[in-house]
Amino acid sequence: MLNRTLVSSSSVSLLPNSKPFFSVKNLSGFRSSSFSGGFIRRINHKPLCVMTPNLTPRAMAAQQLENADQLIDSVETFIFDCDGVIWKGDKLIEGVPETLDMLRAKGKRLVFVTNNSTKSRKQYGKKFETLGLNVNEEEIFASSFAAAAYLQSINFPKDKKVYVIGEEGILKELDLAGFQYLGGPDDGKKQIELKPGFLMEHENDVGAVVVGFDRYFNYYKIQYGTLCIRENPGCLFIATNRDAVTHLTDAQEWAGGGSMVGALVGSCQREPLVVGKPSTFMMDYLSDKFGIEKSQICMVGDRLDTDILFGQNGGCKTLLVLSGVTSISMLESPENKIQPDFYTSKISDFLSLKAANV
Amino acid sequence: MAPKLLSSSNFKSLFDSVDTFLFDCDGVIWKGDTLIDGVSQTLDLLRSKGKNIVFVTNNSMKSRRQFAEKFRSLGLTSVTQDEIFCTSFAAAMYLKANNFPKDKKVYAIGGAGILEELQLAGFTGLGGPEDGEKKAQWKSNCLFQHDKTVGAVVVGLDPNINYYKLQYGTLCVRENPGCLFIATNRDAVGHMTDLQEWPGAGCMVAAMCGSTEREPIVVGKPATFMMDFLIQKFGTETSRMCMVGDRLDTDVLFGQNAGCKTLLVLSGCTSESNLLDESNKIEPDYYTSMVSDITKLMDSP
Repeated sequence: MLNRTLVSSSSVSLLPNSKPFFSVKNLSGFRSSSFSGGFIRRINHKPLCVMTPNLTPRAMAAQQLENADQLIDSVETFIFDCDGVIWKGDKLIEGVPETLDMLRAKGKRLVFVTNNSTKSRKQYGKKFETLGLNVNEEEIFASSFAAAAYLQSINFPKDKKVYVIGEEGILKELDLAGFQYLGGPDDGKKQIELKPGFLMEHENDVGAVVVGFDRYFNYYKIQYGTLCIRENPGCLFIATNRDAVTHLTDAQEWAGGGSMVGALVGSCQREPLVVGKPSTFMMDYLSDKFGIEKSQICMVGDRLDTDILFGQNGGCKTLLVLSGVTSISMLESPENKIQPDFYTSKISDFLSLKAANV
Repeated sequence: MAPKLLSSSNFKSLFDSVDTFLFDCDGVIWKGDTLIDGVSQTLDLLRSKGKNIVFVTNNSMKSRRQFAEKFRSLGLTSVTQDEIFCTSFAAAMYLKANNFPKDKKVYAIGGAGILEELQLAGFTGLGGPEDGEKKAQWKSNCLFQHDKTVGAVVVGLDPNINYYKLQYGTLCVRENPGCLFIATNRDAVGHMTDLQEWPGAGCMVAAMCGSTEREPIVVGKPATFMMDFLIQKFGTETSRMCMVGDRLDTDVLFGQNAGCKTLLVLSGCTSESNLLDESNKIEPDYYTSMVSDITKLMDSP
């Protein structure tokens, strides 16, 4: 499992004399608190970046889903991860459209929460449409959206800029939220020559660096982001997510956002604020937005250390599907400390198990 | 015990108790490509007094041979290749010391120095600078291929880091059974140019930790792997060695971990206020402004 500790005050290096110039909200709750100090005081509240398994691991082993109806009737909202649950790469998983239709017919609210930051919600909406799924843009929450939503929630000043190490989805969402940004894929073309007398300049009014999955990653971006974080007083370091690997194509794993974020952690020696799963920011946002009780939600995902941990941290029911990255042997391995409430092979089991009970 | 400022009252006792001086390079001997004042005379003086001199650097961009060329180009012509211990060499030696099979390959994320040292040690290296030009493709029917015979991935400073290299290295570490993950060093930043700090190997290594979910074997300072070679070379106790460096968490910690005396110089990345700050927990035995202070103190009565 991951070998990282919870962020503690001793592991955060505070910039001398730095003060955030706006009030910073606790990522695990939507309630606002103002801090006049640096990040150390904020960390005395709930952890911002939960990477180790939940502090209160579930003692009970996951149960194989048998009575789908009971689970369906016990919740009002289903939150679905996308990769490995709804689709794999660009291929729809069998039985998904009928399952979603059935849940809607039963009056359930459906929400899609993905750590993927390459697309905006609008672009995801198009992907759902192309795959023949009836999903509204308003029901989709990608980590690109989460980064912009987080900045909005803390009243990030519109006269400050955001430096982006990541792809188009983040840029589009920042734009929609009215924030100025620099960087993104274009900086992937910038080269540096390390020679005497060369100085890299950076804009002093960058107030946040957002880091996510970036196929155009390079040394220029790492240095630019590092300079902003280290030298601009109060500059935030935000990560869309820290997934080690991701299924960009259905055939294999690809190095994920955790790699780019790791690089910035390595050079800045600071831990980021994580807005994607398993951090509960998106859960709090949804529950606030739709006015839902967390006990009325079931999180459905294929990944233990993001999806299931997200659901558990948020106080929801959790259902692991085996149609993605996690196999039954990984779930049952003695090294695994994360036990969802239920597990099943794929979401269309909601239909087949239902049929079996009739 | 608090670090002592090197002075005429304590210099002789340090000098007489040390047979071998270990020097870091960046920030001690040179800064970027500029020699620091008075270094040449100091090294000559130490040699004339019968002291052994070696250079222990975390830099993996060059091989020992390429470093020797750098020393020569800066006028330090007395320095020979076998007095230089850089982490490109250390990575190759680690593989040798652990009987890395010759039929396995090594994927390098870093400079040409790593590939050269691997070749000298009889290993087959892949990757390195030319992978800086490669781009990955992500189409449904396109598989990112990687050599299944890669048995180790060595990661060092790489100003040409890109997604292709991260993906290649990640697949090797995650999917090739028993594949080693070796880091030359984990320095967060370094003075790659004279005017500002730049991300160090620690950045590339952390990127790989992020995608592989594994911690690497570190061969550079402050790990003491390179010390084993030095002990073998000189056959002396580490207590008769003095590590001279500019960085607390690599140079000084390396010296302390190995049982050497330690001298911090303030000509590199550490200032006197960094050293004396309450939050600093690493205390060298001595500190001074620069290497040439040794010459001044030797000459003083």
